Amino acid sequence: MSVAVERKGMNRRAFLIKSGWLAAGVTVLTSCGAARSVLPAMPSFSSPEPEDALAWVQALPGGQIRFFCPRMEMGQGAPLGLSQVVAEELNIRQQEIDCVSPATDQTPPFKMTVGSEGIFDFFMPVSYGAARLREALRGLAAEKAGLAPELVQDGESGFVLPDGTVLSYGDLVPSEPVVLSVSASSRADEALRRYALERKGAYRAIGQRWKHHELEAMVTGKTVYSRDVTLAGMLYGQVRRPPAFGARLQSANGRAAEAMAGVNAVVIDKGRNFVGVVSDNPFVLATAVQAIEVEWEMPEELNQDQIEAVLDVEKYRAQNDFEHELTAAGDIEAGRAQAVHRNTARYDTSLAAHAQMEPRAGVAWVRKDKVEIWCGSQDPFFVQRRVAKAINRNLDDVVVHSHRMGGGFGGRVLCLASEEAAVLSAAAGKPVRVQWDRETEFQSSYFQPIFSHFIDAGVTSDGRISHWEHDFVSSPIMTGPMPKSIAMVVDRVMADEGTARGALSPYQLPDHRVRYSDIRTAVPIGPWRALGAAPNNFAVESMIDELAVAAGMDPVKLRLLNLPPEAVRLAAVLERAAALADWGQTVPEDWGRGIACGVYKGQTAAAVVAEVRVDHKARQLLITSMWCAQDCGLVVNPDQVEAQIMGNLIWGCTMALKERLTVAAGAVQERNFDRYEILTHREAPEMTVALVEPPDAPPVAVGESALGPVAAAIANAVFDATGRRARRLPMSYEGVFSDG
Amino acid sequence: MEIAINGKAVAVPERLNDVVLLDFLRDFVGLKGTKFGCGIGLCGACTVHVDGIADRSCQLSVADVAGQEVTTIEGLSGAAPDSVLHPVQQAWIDESVPQCGYCQGGQIMTAVALLRDNPDPTEEEIRDEMSGNLCRCGTYPRIHRAIVRAAKGGQDVSRG
Repeated sequence: MSVAVERKGMNRRAFLIKSGWLAAGVTVLTSCGAARSVLPAMPSFSSPEPEDALAWVQALPGGQIRFFCPRMEMGQGAPLGLSQVVAEELNIRQQEIDCVSPATDQTPPFKMTVGSEGIFDFFMPVSYGAARLREALRGLAAEKAGLAPELVQDGESGFVLPDGTVLSYGDLVPSEPVVLSVSASSRADEALRRYALERKGAYRAIGQRWKHHELEAMVTGKTVYSRDVTLAGMLYGQVRRPPAFGARLQSANGRAAEAMAGVNAVVIDKGRNFVGVVSDNPFVLATAVQAIEVEWEMPEELNQDQIEAVLDVEKYRAQNDFEHELTAAGDIEAGRAQAVHRNTARYDTSLAAHAQMEPRAGVAWVRKDKVEIWCGSQDPFFVQRRVAKAINRNLDDVVVHSHRMGGGFGGRVLCLASEEAAVLSAAAGKPVRVQWDRETEFQSSYFQPIFSHFIDAGVTSDGRISHWEHDFVSSPIMTGPMPKSIAMVVDRVMADEGTARGALSPYQLPDHRVRYSDIRTAVPIGPWRALGAAPNNFAVESMIDELAVAAGMDPVKLRLLNLPPEAVRLAAVLERAAALADWGQTVPEDWGRGIACGVYKGQTAAAVVAEVRVDHKARQLLITSMWCAQDCGLVVNPDQVEAQIMGNLIWGCTMALKERLTVAAGAVQERNFDRYEILTHREAPEMTVALVEPPDAPPVAVGESALGPVAAAIANAVFDATGRRARRLPMSYEGVFSDG
Repeated sequence: MEIAINGKAVAVPERLNDVVLLDFLRDFVGLKGTKFGCGIGLCGACTVHVDGIADRSCQLSVADVAGQEVTTIEGLSGAAPDSVLHPVQQAWIDESVPQCGYCQGGQIMTAVALLRDNPDPTEEEIRDEMSGNLCRCGTYPRIHRAIVRAAKGGQDVSRG
């Protein structure tokens, strides 16, 4: 890049000062890039702009590169993969990167960490920001050597001059803070070399099995999760939960609690539906919060059968009434007439919880001039906005410090614990910690909605799908974390694409129609790993298996026959998974194998083979083995991608066999792991994972991409073993062998 | 009353005798490596060693461990600040086990106790012994491999 660099003063951006830039260093900024307008208390939806990345990568005195990673870490490892992109552009080693989870005053706002977009959406901007910094440093090297930048060659962690002199980044970064401003000219961008794009087949950092820089801290118990945050003089808070969704505080009397030793205050705010206690003794909290006398105004009673009655696909079919048509083509009746084997079936999935291992927590310190929050959230800028609203403060007063999350899975876009801590801290005048217990985590979060599907499909005499009529109902997901007033409006004008994710089958369907309704019930709903992708794929890929069985065809062959010619990547993973599993071999009695596949968000192709064994004596369905082939394009870190796929497979096993929340009297009945079980080590299948990586394919979604096909593969394997279909999740031995 | 935590004697104020050991470790002693997951002894995130035996610190009171030796994940590799990692911790790193990492301290404490009693466990024994420690990220396959690796003295035992 031949654009001259211009030094600017340090007062351009408040976040620079706050981000430690008064200490020293070099950063690159464009001359535009004013802070973007921010809607009040809405999740952060905006995709990253390349210019945003200029604030993410900085060179520190000594040559260390600080990376303010714009993806929150919850175990998916995006900060590691993106660090590899930074290293590729800057020709540095892992130990030269200081990867930091930025506080909200250290970078401009960035999009919430959702949708498996960490690499897909951020690979390019991070590469851009790091490449821009490298060229700015090259400009400094050229200036120092009195040479044209073109003569300054790349070296290890720095540059090499024509005479062989080595200038490391450490030699170039002044101890005084410097901001290099580059104009955002498209010509300069065109000339900018992007090693993350150029060095295909010869990457130095990308594609390597780098280990996460926090591994040692994690295995020695030193990682600070939000539950582990401690401030000097911190008090402890807990909020009294409403007994049901939508229960309103009628009256509260805190005298008994206030009389308890160690209790500082009881905070009652009827308008906010808030009753909480603050104590300087963490060990009396649980007793104190229960000692508050509270009367609630209960909403209309809400029970499981009412929810299931609302989300019943056949009811809407009877009325021929669906809100949204996802796709339609051809003539269903004409297609149906071509069917030599016709199948109709209903598939249902359950209300589910995230059940991440760390129940959320937040520490808040509300002062006159500043509000600080320490939490783990997938959207720290949303937390910032919500906290500002909750305690009526200016957005700029609020700073959110982000911690590694003990699991996220879509459930941590909000952090209500932080808002509760802020309200209590504002009242107490001291820092306050709020930690949710497991019961609160189950009752006070949002959930994966019920999905209810009906599919009418068939196969022609030559094994092609004759028609595909697919209707389903569920609840809106994307609008879940929004304020209710806004969400209700959005629901009316917009089909929820999160609910519909993965509902379009990848097969060639001349005569087809897919319709759905997203209907809100009183149960709080929000993103859960892969959103609609897993329940929708379960229905689609179960039906495909039913069609193969009806037509007497091998399910792999039927899929390959019906895929359109352009679906080469999906076909390739299907074939790869089948080969991995040695598909077609006979299995013993009471064993079975099933296959399913899918394309996540139109990006990532995955195919899964499941093998099950039916243990009649123990009356159990056991998943013995799984094989998965995935094509997620360029693999930035194979170790991390394999870990994510294994995580998806195990998540899918839990979804298929175990997860179901039920509601009685407006409350979740399963409030701990005794009644909401997740897969155990003993139940985890053997796993084999293969990555299919076509040349020149950019990196795409990984974090939840293999989940879609898992449940269908298991259900199809159960059919293979038993001749019985599991069409309702979670499935069980009893359910499969009941006549219902 | 005194209990020994990671080799150091800790005097317990009398008013805290009945406090849950997990809460005591985290909020009195300040050892945050032992995690709260469920509070009913089902998830294993709070696993510590009491006189060398893996136990759920959310199901014990401080008084329950009076006079006994409690080891937490922080104390596993010895007291010195620059001490090397315990071989099981090293195996966990070698196999890149953790995803979110929250349950892993408890997993490691259970695995260490398992290998102490049974230095060369079978696959079935590992599965049985580790099934009280839940992981939502789905790291079981790598946990399994890390335990086998540690049992084999740190050798890579990857299957192909």
